[in-house]
Amino acid sequence: MSLSLGAPLALILGALVALPVLAHMARQVPRERKAFGAMLLLHRVVKRLKRRRRVKDPLLLLLRVLAVALIALAAAAPELSYPDGVPEFGGSGRVVVVLDRSMSMGSVQAGTTLLQRAREDAVSLVGELPDGVAVGLVVYDTDAVAVTSELTTDHARVAAALTATQPSYGVSNLRAGLLEARRLLGGEPGEVVLFSDEAGPGQVADARPELEALLSLGSSVVPRTVRAEPARNVAIVSARYGDGLEGGQVTVRLMNYGPDAIEVPCEVTLPDGASIPIFADLPPAGPAEERITIPTEAEGGVGSVSCEDPDLPADDARYFHLPRVGASRVLVVDGDPGDTPIRSEVYFLERALAPWGGLKSGVTIDVTTPVGLLDLEPERHRVVFLANVADPRPFGPRLTEFVRKGGSVVITGGDNVTADRYNAALAGVLPARIRSSRSIADRDEEGVPADMPDLDAELFGPFRRGGRDGFRRVRTHTLLTLEPFDAADDVQVLLRWSNGMPALIERSLGSGRVLLWTSTLDLGWGNLPLQSVFMPLVQRMVGYLGGDAGAGAARIDAVVGQPVAVPLPDLAVEPKVLGPDGEAVRSRIDGQRLLFTPEAPGAYQLALESAPPLAWVAANVPAEESDVRAYDSVVAAEREIAPELLTRRIDLAGFAWVLALALVAAQGLAGLRGSAA
Amino acid sequence: MASSEPVYDAEVLARVRHLHLRARTLTDALLMGEHRSRRVGQAVEFADYQEYLPGMDLRGLDWRVWGRSDRYVIKRFETETELPCTVVLDLSGDLGTGDRAAHSLPDLEGTKAGYAIVLAATLLYFLHRHGEPVGLEIVAGQGVPHVSLPPRGGRNHLQLLFLLLAKVRPGGTAGLREALTRVGGRVRRRSWVALVSDGMEEPSTWLPALAAFARRGADLRFFHVHDPREWALDFDQPALFFSPEGGEALAVDPGGAQAAFDEVVREYVAEVKGGVVRFGGRYLPVPTHQPLDAVVRAAVLDDARALADLGGLT
Repeated sequence: MSLSLGAPLALILGALVALPVLAHMARQVPRERKAFGAMLLLHRVVKRLKRRRRVKDPLLLLLRVLAVALIALAAAAPELSYPDGVPEFGGSGRVVVVLDRSMSMGSVQAGTTLLQRAREDAVSLVGELPDGVAVGLVVYDTDAVAVTSELTTDHARVAAALTATQPSYGVSNLRAGLLEARRLLGGEPGEVVLFSDEAGPGQVADARPELEALLSLGSSVVPRTVRAEPARNVAIVSARYGDGLEGGQVTVRLMNYGPDAIEVPCEVTLPDGASIPIFADLPPAGPAEERITIPTEAEGGVGSVSCEDPDLPADDARYFHLPRVGASRVLVVDGDPGDTPIRSEVYFLERALAPWGGLKSGVTIDVTTPVGLLDLEPERHRVVFLANVADPRPFGPRLTEFVRKGGSVVITGGDNVTADRYNAALAGVLPARIRSSRSIADRDEEGVPADMPDLDAELFGPFRRGGRDGFRRVRTHTLLTLEPFDAADDVQVLLRWSNGMPALIERSLGSGRVLLWTSTLDLGWGNLPLQSVFMPLVQRMVGYLGGDAGAGAARIDAVVGQPVAVPLPDLAVEPKVLGPDGEAVRSRIDGQRLLFTPEAPGAYQLALESAPPLAWVAANVPAEESDVRAYDSVVAAEREIAPELLTRRIDLAGFAWVLALALVAAQGLAGLRGSAA
Repeated sequence: MASSEPVYDAEVLARVRHLHLRARTLTDALLMGEHRSRRVGQAVEFADYQEYLPGMDLRGLDWRVWGRSDRYVIKRFETETELPCTVVLDLSGDLGTGDRAAHSLPDLEGTKAGYAIVLAATLLYFLHRHGEPVGLEIVAGQGVPHVSLPPRGGRNHLQLLFLLLAKVRPGGTAGLREALTRVGGRVRRRSWVALVSDGMEEPSTWLPALAAFARRGADLRFFHVHDPREWALDFDQPALFFSPEGGEALAVDPGGAQAAFDEVVREYVAEVKGGVVRFGGRYLPVPTHQPLDAVVRAAVLDDARALADLGGLT
């Protein structure tokens, strides 16, 4: 707040304040002298009046000094300027109403959502605009839409469009809203009336360039903020099943955006419909984490966590992927049980894949003999290890069909492997035809080491963090040799021995894969099981091949309102997307991808006729919209950008004149009353 | 103390004649009658009966009444005796002001002093005509020494008093406390005392001096002489008011101070009256526009109507 003077020289008149002071100092003495015989009484009167004048005289002097000072001030044309709360509205004749319909506008207070309040305010504003004022409407969440393609004087149409605006699950994108408003204004000045809660961090800062652009055009942005006071919301910001070695629990993170501590009842619902109630204690404006143990057996799919929170219902549920728990997904076909553990692939695989048991790891393995392959269940098993199996011919077609349906097979070498039988039985799925087994070093020697793997390969991704050098210590003295083959998109050599011969080859068939390890998984031909890379490599191999995913379906996380692309295998039939309510959702296929946009949070699946889902999509609301607290304000940003726009000026000269005259009158009255003695 | 100063001044003699004439005229106008002392005592003339109360002198019991009616009553008688009368006249400088006096002397027209002198002369003449010895105490003034003439009878004594009254002029300060203490200590017991003054000194200083009169059993009348215009502060223009007795002058706008002045006057009168009554005296407000016959009648004859005319103050 500051005071400026239009005519500062007029303050010289302020020197006139000396006049009343001098007048008080030199009180007028009557000229007439009169003998008076009752001076005793007069002295008493004067004494009494002096007691009153002690108060009255300074007051009189003050009144006179103030009167003169105010006259001088009025003559100096004072003007008071101060920063106002919001820009002034009205007068431009061009108005764009910008309405925020993002998820946070769904906050409820007193039974009404912020969006409802904003809509009513906006409709009221439009209704009060004079005829002839051109109005436009922009609605924004993640994106902005100009509901009216241009400014219109049809106020009723704008009001109807406002009334029809529905809440969304989108993120506030104020910048997009202001950009669209600027487009509607067409580069001409106008007024942008913004109905928003201004909630969430960074929203206003992100929109600052657009604010600057609008203000530089001579437009003004008039925020009509609707906000719950105080802002409260409890949100589930994440829910995740702890897979792998740490599996067995769902970790739920909640956030309390309100100022008070609160206890919230929640419920975890598993894909099979089972529910687990929990209570979460949340500190004021702080997070909480809850871990829920999943039953020993649970169906894979998409589960949910929900909590009871009346403030913003939209973010009170969160969906998470849950692998099939307690069911075997890895079938190890033991072709050579061996007489000692070191000569048994099963021994090493069991300890690598489920060191603490299958229930905890989320990966359990079934061990069977080659005859057991006749019981191969694509619904149950996703990865099959053929460990030194002598003759795969009886179940070759079944394995081939298994791979074509999306299953995966890992073939390892061994003394029992016979090239002709394998080439004959698995010709359609083998990465390369097997020539023979070949010794490349004496058994007493260390053997040939493996090369360093290419970390760009998806299989070796986890080794980016470390452990890559461990592959150099993997050696073999015998290996399977292969017929010459051409590496192509569907056949890749993932790892080689240092002599250049393939160590690990992959062939993809749709979503199915076949890995061929040219050595053994026990200590028969090499030392892999004793190396540090063995356990992570095997676990990664299983994960890579889909053995830890429920029913082998792809698991995709999505955000409501944002398009989802699901990679498709070679399929004869087109899958369809089923929404949370079981109804088909509009989708389209773009090459090898299926595209669709989830419009509501929940579990979506790519379903095939008489087959497990190809993919599960857990669609959640954007977590950033849950933070309903106000961080920055548009007004503050405008004040920084163009402080003069938010400065109010009041001409004080008129007030000063009126007050001065009032004081002159008051001192006159006081003077009359006080001039008795 | 009697003045032995010879009187030759023709002007003074004229004043004496004027005073005498005025006093006589006023006195003649008063209702003449038998003067009786108000003192009740054992004398020859029966006054009335009073019911006997324990502690009363048994000598006054009327045994005949007791014999007839078996009641105890005391016979009371009026005493016929001389009543020494003293007029105490305050002629301090403040009494020289005023312009509304109904009675005055030629060179003191309208002033309180003139009125007070005529009042004193009238009282003296009236009392003298009724055979009472009269005396005069002048406690302030100029032109004569402060005299103290104790009550005496005789025409010559009265002429002396008139001569003094004709010569005295207002001036100086009264010093009421000392003057009244001095006079009160030498008045005869059970005498009649008229104090004629404006009382314009701080009452708390001089009112206690009236105790000297009470101790002597004097029948004190305080004639509070004042100019009605002064007590109403009835002046048009602001002026620098000053006292003839000296002291600080005050610049006052009468219009603005009117209300406060009225309040002060009321408080002052109540204070003086209360002090006089407390010491057994009678308070008589005497505005100078008041005809003297009413004043004298109220003061000397205890005329109820005259008292009412003076404001009902007793």
